[in-house]
Amino acid sequence: MNYMPWTASLIEDIDKKHLVLLRDGRTLIGFLRSIDQFANLVLHQTIERIHVGKKYGNIPRGIFLVRGENVVLLGEIDLEKESDTALQQVSIEEILEQRVEQQTRLEAEKLKVQDLKDRGLSIPRADTHMTRQRLST
Amino acid sequence: MEPRQPSRDPLLSYNPLTLWPPKLSLPSHLTQLHPQHQRILLQQRSQTMSLAKKPWSLKPDTYANLMTRKEKDWVIKVQMVQLQSENPRLDDYYYQEYYQKLEKTQADKELLGHRNRAESLKLVTPHIQKAEGYESVVRIEGSLGQVAVSTCFSPRRAIDAVSHGTQEQDTGAASSQRLRVLSLIEKMFLQLLEIEEGQNDGFPQLYHSEEQRNQVEKLFQALKTQGQDNLEETADSLLQVLSVRKGKILVARLLPFLPHDQAVSLLLYITYHLPLLILRDMADQALHILFKPLGKYIHYLTFHQLLHGLQGLMLLPPGTSERPVSVVLQNQFGISLLYALLSHGEQLVSLDSSLQSSSDCAAWTDLVILVTWEISQLPTASLAEPLAFPRNLLPLFCHHMDKQLMQQLEARMELACIY
Repeated sequence: MNYMPWTASLIEDIDKKHLVLLRDGRTLIGFLRSIDQFANLVLHQTIERIHVGKKYGNIPRGIFLVRGENVVLLGEIDLEKESDTALQQVSIEEILEQRVEQQTRLEAEKLKVQDLKDRGLSIPRADTHMTRQRLST
Repeated sequence: MEPRQPSRDPLLSYNPLTLWPPKLSLPSHLTQLHPQHQRILLQQRSQTMSLAKKPWSLKPDTYANLMTRKEKDWVIKVQMVQLQSENPRLDDYYYQEYYQKLEKTQADKELLGHRNRAESLKLVTPHIQKAEGYESVVRIEGSLGQVAVSTCFSPRRAIDAVSHGTQEQDTGAASSQRLRVLSLIEKMFLQLLEIEEGQNDGFPQLYHSEEQRNQVEKLFQALKTQGQDNLEETADSLLQVLSVRKGKILVARLLPFLPHDQAVSLLLYITYHLPLLILRDMADQALHILFKPLGKYIHYLTFHQLLHGLQGLMLLPPGTSERPVSVVLQNQFGISLLYALLSHGEQLVSLDSSLQSSSDCAAWTDLVILVTWEISQLPTASLAEPLAFPRNLLPLFCHHMDKQLMQQLEARMELACIY
């Protein structure tokens, strides 16, 4: 049977390594073994990858059955380019620690900004503050 | 560094977009891609080509092809079925337009002498009939038994949850009134269930507790006095309750609990409005459940009451030009009730000679003549088969007409019974 040209189908992705982003924010990496008409996925040899800053850690998870509606996006991983990354892999314990630290930092920041707002002051942040650009002449 | 693990599945390296042997140049319909996309595709193509030349570097993927070809085809099939359309130009306008343009440019190019273009593939959905017949008995492989399968395409219609083909136009007011009647019936039915639960061993007449009598009275009042008290009122709620199937069931089940006079009043009411009730029962065909419970109270009727009740047959029911007696005779419940009532009337008359000279008797005679005439008018096939045929009816009819008519009638009624 001729597979559908000009349409997106996961059939061609079977048995390839994929990165899957879920709606709850998790990142899974595994081999796509099976699909169905709802795009439910069976992932094999899956790891959950946690990123904190420039570091990441992999938690081995085994086999996943993901319900199709929970997938935000997925993409094939080029096996050659996979290791070609500026990110640093660390152990699971360390990355989990780092994540907890990140959460507390973010919460503290939020409280601070809220306090300042209450007092009528707003500290400009790098991403919201308009920066002057050098125009080339 | 992780070992390369491209799958050796020939299916995946097979690219349906090219002909064999594969050329590194892209087929025509790919040349319309974004240049970067094109570059990437070419790169990929060359990579897979180069990899194919080094089979020893490929580590066999032991978990490959867990999803069999059959399963892949099945998924594709399901997806294709969803793409089927009766009018593709409406449902899939952009693709159709695009493909047309593509074909046109190809044809033009061919005219200019550029042959060798790969046939651009069109997305062709296999024509799969969606509504396939099912087998009602299914054998699952490896099992010992059989499974019965059944399917229903409109389940709400099957359980009468959705009314269809209603004769009345449901305007806003009419439908809200109908809803009111339905909710009223529900409330009363709950009360009835309580009463039924309270009874002992199915002898409703004998063991009446005080509480039960109160409940029954309450329910009867709810049923009766929603509208007016007099018999002639046709717009009241009791009639509407009886027009609903569940309402008829409610009344039928309540009758055994009622004191005689109240049951008799219900009987009279139903008799009076018989033609209208029959007309409203066309969809449900549920009036027959009332026959047995009502029948028990017929002999309580006085002659005068009976006459008054039967006079409803003289009135033309609204919304139809058919004569009311004719309507009644063509309905099984109607004809059964009518026969039972006439039989009772005849009994009363024959037993009590004083009635024969009363003013009521003239009205009675008129009624009987009317009925007999109607029976003789109707084609035999239209006469409904009565649930019970009282013995004294034929002599009654004979008494009131001439011989010829009597013979006709005899033949008709016997035939009707055989049916």
